[in-house]
Amino acid sequence: MRTYILKRILGVVPTVLMITLVVFVMMRSVPGDPVVPLLGDAYTEEDAIKVREAYGLNKPVLVQYAIWLGKLVQGDWGTSILSGRPVLQDVLVRLPVTLELVVLSMGVALVIAIPAAIIGALRRNTWADYTATSVAMIGVSIPEFFTGVLLLLFFSVGLGGLLPSSGWVYLPGTCPMMVCGVSLWGNLQHVLMPAIALGIGRAALLTRLLRTSMLEVIRTEYVTTARAKGLAERPVVLKHALKNALIPTVTVMGLQVGFLIGGAIVVETLFAMPGLGTFGIDAIIGRDYQQVQGFALVTALAFVAINLIVDLTYTFLDPRIRYA
Amino acid sequence: MADSGESLRMTPRPISGGSTTEAELPVPGVAWPARVARSESPLAQGVRRFRRSTTALVGAAIVVGLVLVALFADALAPRSPIASDQTRTFARPSWDYPLGTDQLGRDMLSRVIHGSRISLAVGVSSVLLALFVGVPFGMIAGYYGGRVDAVVMRAMDLILAFPIYLLAIILMVIFTPTAGLIGTMKVTAAIAIVRIPIYARLVRGSVLSIKEKEYIEACHALGVRDPLILVRHVLPNCLAPIIVTTTLGIATSIIVEATLSFLGLGTQPPTPSWGWDLKANVAFIQATPWLSLFPGLAIFVTVLGFNLFGDGLRDALDPRLK
Repeated sequence: MRTYILKRILGVVPTVLMITLVVFVMMRSVPGDPVVPLLGDAYTEEDAIKVREAYGLNKPVLVQYAIWLGKLVQGDWGTSILSGRPVLQDVLVRLPVTLELVVLSMGVALVIAIPAAIIGALRRNTWADYTATSVAMIGVSIPEFFTGVLLLLFFSVGLGGLLPSSGWVYLPGTCPMMVCGVSLWGNLQHVLMPAIALGIGRAALLTRLLRTSMLEVIRTEYVTTARAKGLAERPVVLKHALKNALIPTVTVMGLQVGFLIGGAIVVETLFAMPGLGTFGIDAIIGRDYQQVQGFALVTALAFVAINLIVDLTYTFLDPRIRYA
Repeated sequence: MADSGESLRMTPRPISGGSTTEAELPVPGVAWPARVARSESPLAQGVRRFRRSTTALVGAAIVVGLVLVALFADALAPRSPIASDQTRTFARPSWDYPLGTDQLGRDMLSRVIHGSRISLAVGVSSVLLALFVGVPFGMIAGYYGGRVDAVVMRAMDLILAFPIYLLAIILMVIFTPTAGLIGTMKVTAAIAIVRIPIYARLVRGSVLSIKEKEYIEACHALGVRDPLILVRHVLPNCLAPIIVTTTLGIATSIIVEATLSFLGLGTQPPTPSWGWDLKANVAFIQATPWLSLFPGLAIFVTVLGFNLFGDGLRDALDPRLK
C-alpha cells in the first residue's frame, strides 16, 4: 500500500509538469505586453526593455519555465510582478477559504444525495422516487451561479439580509492578516450560501448516479442472500448495497473535479470571497504570470490529489481492491 | 399509429426481393407500413420508446420552442435588445416592459429573447465542432491501433488532464473576448477544444469492440477499403452513444458558455448574453431583484430542456446506458 502511494505520487510529477508547462506557454501567447500595466501608459521602449530584463521576460519561454521550475524546487513560487507579493504567501492565505468552501459543499452534496438516492432506488417508481429524480434533474440543470443568485434573492433580499451577500469572515485561528474579521458564527454565515450553491449541483449529479447504481446493486444475488439470511434492511442497504453502489459514483465524482474548480471560481466571484478561485481568475485576466503559474500549480496538484483519493477510496469501499 | 399498421399488414408482401420501394408497390399511393411488429428496426423501436416518455417529450418541446424563439427573435422581441433609453432605466415590470428594463434602459424581455441565440448557437455549434474533430480522431485511433492510437490518445489525454474551466478560461483570454459573431465564434472554439477528447475517447472505445465483429471481417474478406468500412460499417454502429453524448453535451456547453459570460469572458456586450446579463444585474440585486432572475431562469430552462431531451434519447436509443 505504501509503495503504491509512493508510486502514485511519483506518477503525479509528469502530469503536474505538463499542466504547468502548457499554462506557462499559453499565458505567454496572450496578446499584449505584460509590462504595460506595470509601467502605465506613458513609458519609453527603453524602460520596457529594462523591466523585461529585470524579470527575465526577454528570455525564451522554455528557459523562463526552467527558471521558474528551478526556483519552485527550492520552495520559491516566484513573486508577482504586478503586486510585488510572493505568490506562495497569497496562495496560502487564500487556500483555506476555498478548501472550506469545497469541503462543505461536498458535505452538502453527500447529505442530500445519499438519502435521496437510497429512497429513489428502494421505492422505485413511487412519488418519493419521482420527487427525488425530478429535483435531481432540476439540480443538474441549474448553473452554480444561478443557484447562488436564487439563494441571494431568498436570504439576502427576501429575508431582509439574513445572510450577508458578499465578503468573508475568517475562522478563528486562520486570520492571515494583522487585522481581520474573525468569528465562527460570522464565518458560518458567510460560507453557508456559497457552500449550498456549489453543493446543490453536485448533490443532484450524485443522486442520479447513485440511484442508478443502487438499482443495479439491489438486484444482485449477494443482496438477496443478505436478506435471505435474515439481515435487517438497514445493514443490507447501508453495508452491502450502498458501499458497492458508491464505487462507480466515486469514479464519476473524481472526473468532476474540473467542473468543481470552475464552480468554485464562479461561486467565489458571485459572493466576492477571498479564495483561490477569485485569485486565479483575477490573475488570468490581469495577466499576472507568476500568480497564474501558482494557481495552475495548486489546481494541478488538487486535480491529481483528488484522483489519488478516489483510487484509495476504492480500497475502503471494496476490500477486494488492493494496490500492491 | 400501431392500429393503422395492423390493418395495413393484411396487404401481401412481395414474395421475392427484399426491396419495398414505392415503385414496386402493387397499389399506387399506399405506402407499406413503416413499422411491422416482427421486424421493427432499432430506430423505430427507439422512436417508440422516446414517444412513450413524457419527460423526453417535454424536453423535446422545450428544445423546439427555444429553437423557434432563437430563429424568430427579431419578430418576437418587442424592442431592440441593445437600444438603450436613458429615461427609462430600471423600470419595473409593466405592460410596456414585461420584464422591466436594465441599468441602460434596455428592454429585458427583448434581451432574454435575443440571448437565446448566443446560448443555442454556442451550445450546438461547439458540440458539433468537437464532434467533427473528435469522432474521426477516435475512429482512426481505435481502428488502426498501435502507434497511431498512442499518438492521438496521448494528445487527447493532454487536454483531458486539464480541469476544463482552467483551459477554457485561458483559451478565452488568449482569444480576447469580443462582441458579435466573431466573439461568439471564439467562445465556440474555446468550448469545442476542451470537449474534443470526450468524443475521441467515446468513439475509440466503441470502435475497439466493433472492429472485432464478424461483419467487419467479412468486409476485409470482400476487399472493402478502410475508409469505406469506417464510414459505412463502423460509424453507424457507434452512433447511439454519440447522439446521446451530443445532446447532453449541448446542455453542458450552454452552462460553460453562461459561466464564461458570467466571468466576463464570453461574447461581449452589447451582444445580449444570458450569463453576462445575469452578472451585470447581480450588482443591483437589492434594488431590482427581478432583473437577475430572468436571464438565470432562461439558462435553467434551456439546460433543463436539453437534459430531458438527452435523457429521453439515451433511454430510447441505448437502453443499456440507462
